[in-house]
Amino acid sequence: MSDYKYEEKEDFAGRKVKVLGPTYEEGKPEDRGDWRSKLGSREDALRYIRTAMRYWYSKEWYGSEKRKQEA
Amino acid sequence: MPDEKIRSIDKATLKLLEKAEKEKIGTVFSRADEIKPCPIGVEESCCKVCAMGPCRLPRSKKGEAKERVGVCGATIETIVARNFARKVAAGAASHSDHAREVVHTFIKTARGEAQGFAIKDEMKLLAVALDFGIAIEGREIKDIAMELGEKALKEFGKQDGELVYIGKAPLKRQELWKRLGVTPRGIDREVVEIMHRTHMGVDQDYKHLLLHAARTALADGWGGSMISTDLQDIMFGTPVPVLGSINLGVLKEDHVNVVVHGHEPLLPELLVVASRDPEVRKMTEDAGAKGINLAGMCCSANEVLMRHGIPCAGNFLQQELALITGAVELMTVDVQCEMQGLKNVAECFHTRLITTSDRAMIEGATHVEFHPEHGLDTAKKILKMAIENYPNRRHAVYIPDESRDMVAGFSHETINYLLGGLFRASYRPLNDNIMNGRIRGVAGVVGCNNVRTPHDSAHIAMIKELIRNDVLVLTTGCAAMACGKEGLLTPEAAKLYAGSGLAEVCEAVGIPPVLHLGSCVDNSRILMAATAMVKEGGLGDDLSDLPAAGAAPEWMSEKAIAIGQYFVASGVFTVFGTTWPTSGSEKVTRHLFEEYEELYKGMWAYEPDPVEAAQLMIRHIDKKRRALGIDKARDRVLFDMAMRRALD
Ligand code: SF4
Repeated sequence: MSDYKYEEKEDFAGRKVKVLGPTYEEGKPEDRGDWRSKLGSREDALRYIRTAMRYWYSKEWYGSEKRKQEA
Repeated sequence: MPDEKIRSIDKATLKLLEKAEKEKIGTVFSRADEIKPCPIGVEESCCKVCAMGPCRLPRSKKGEAKERVGVCGATIETIVARNFARKVAAGAASHSDHAREVVHTFIKTARGEAQGFAIKDEMKLLAVALDFGIAIEGREIKDIAMELGEKALKEFGKQDGELVYIGKAPLKRQELWKRLGVTPRGIDREVVEIMHRTHMGVDQDYKHLLLHAARTALADGWGGSMISTDLQDIMFGTPVPVLGSINLGVLKEDHVNVVVHGHEPLLPELLVVASRDPEVRKMTEDAGAKGINLAGMCCSANEVLMRHGIPCAGNFLQQELALITGAVELMTVDVQCEMQGLKNVAECFHTRLITTSDRAMIEGATHVEFHPEHGLDTAKKILKMAIENYPNRRHAVYIPDESRDMVAGFSHETINYLLGGLFRASYRPLNDNIMNGRIRGVAGVVGCNNVRTPHDSAHIAMIKELIRNDVLVLTTGCAAMACGKEGLLTPEAAKLYAGSGLAEVCEAVGIPPVLHLGSCVDNSRILMAATAMVKEGGLGDDLSDLPAAGAAPEWMSEKAIAIGQYFVASGVFTVFGTTWPTSGSEKVTRHLFEEYEELYKGMWAYEPDPVEAAQLMIRHIDKKRRALGIDKARDRVLFDMAMRRALD
């Protein structure tokens, strides 16, 4: 996950900030769109599971289901 | 062939039916002309669970309200509900026995005893291990896999508690299931209990019987089917978008054509590997063929298409027609949806029909049993049989030139990724676009073909009506294949067929307006995608709050009833077409169509006209939008920098 480009942009107050650039790949895919192969190590995979699939794998995430008592 | 009856909207199918008729070869289409559905059976007003019957209790043609009871006194409600529950049991058993086979192979793979198989998707393994509460820290992949396989196997025989995957459903749904007492305990247990309760003289209260039918169906959707999908993903890879082609035109005259038909992707995966083996290739050349052309049929097709881009020859009603091309050297069949009529058609040509499962033989077919311990050897043996059969073609080959490109492989994980990328993967953009009205809602259109409805016609009419009205469609099984043939599974379809809002979103994300999520067991992926939408927030806190609906307009199998029942019990409004199996009892039908809404906040409907059925779904979606307060489409105002500064 280290091959991401960052861009320098202005924030609302006009300050310079570094933000993540486009994450899509240019051109038409010739092969299957195997995005999973970009997650090389087990740590990358686990980080992805806990963030992208937070609906089931992150304790901090509640979305619409935040409640005091668990079901 | 009578002109007045449209048999299919697919040209390749019509061309081969003409050939079949000229050559006097019987097919499902000609047999359907000869056998009309039994008028008592069609409304399920018949009981044959004991030897005092069978008791036939048709509705009075004159509409007289006479009491309809069997010899034992069983009411028509009990009889119709029992028949319905038994269909659910058979459907749930089919998906779940498929899952059991997958789990056994998975365990052998983890032990290194399954020839040709591997753990391909480590990320999915880790995620599913977490679902099952398995420690993963510092452990070898194969240890984690072993423990997962053993725990997954226990789900079938569990007697108490609840299935592990129930914990993945929205919390409110879990509470509702608990309140109704329908949380499934163990997969096999619920199926066995249906068979007991529907035995002569046991459960004789239709509402009580149908509660257990819901519990059993949930053991399929949130149990057997989900286990099957997840463990297959770990062994063969979670599907990602892949370009493939579909229809009978994918067969090649100068190749050895091998059609893989059925449902379990175990042998088909190894046939893909074996077809690349140098020894097999050399044999093919020596036989004078340009190569081996593997093509799929039914859900086996969906599985190898999604993971390898292997072409798909067609859906359920095209299985006999593939052989009528005269170009198929060999067809393998494992379990489910394989017509016994294949044997007679194969005999008219040189085609070898091979049964491969220890649970399914066909009289007159050759049986080559598949066992994972020597799976690759079996796959090679089968391909060699096909190559040896290539010189035996004795008919002129006729392959219609129809085939279309399509994109498949939209697992719920891939949809999540496509909506946000690696760093921002999320269902948020989908929810936002539903809230702002660009997308009106989501529909799952799934299921079989049925010869009593013109082949593919209902799928296509319904789905075109839905996407025209900005409803994003998720599809699986034979419905997905119908869409592929019609060109609905390409991003370009958004421009041609989708409403402007849906088309705009499809273009921005680069997806078709109809997403192919896989085979019948992969309806569990639809449950997961819908759950992610709920958990993401903004569209209520239960599956029943979503502006969503389900349908199977051309259903024919008991599996479809099980699927429909778990969709409904999960809170989804679900419309079936073609025929309805409780029409013998008004009370049972009213219970499923109306009173279920009170119980599950999802209910069944029956509408044979596919466009009217789509309108029913749209009306339901609009009702849910109103309840969420998002019924008026609102365009988001995008603030530029100056507008934002002005706010400060
Ligand atoms: S169980 Fe009752 S209704 Fe069914 S066949 Fe026997 S006698 Fe007839």
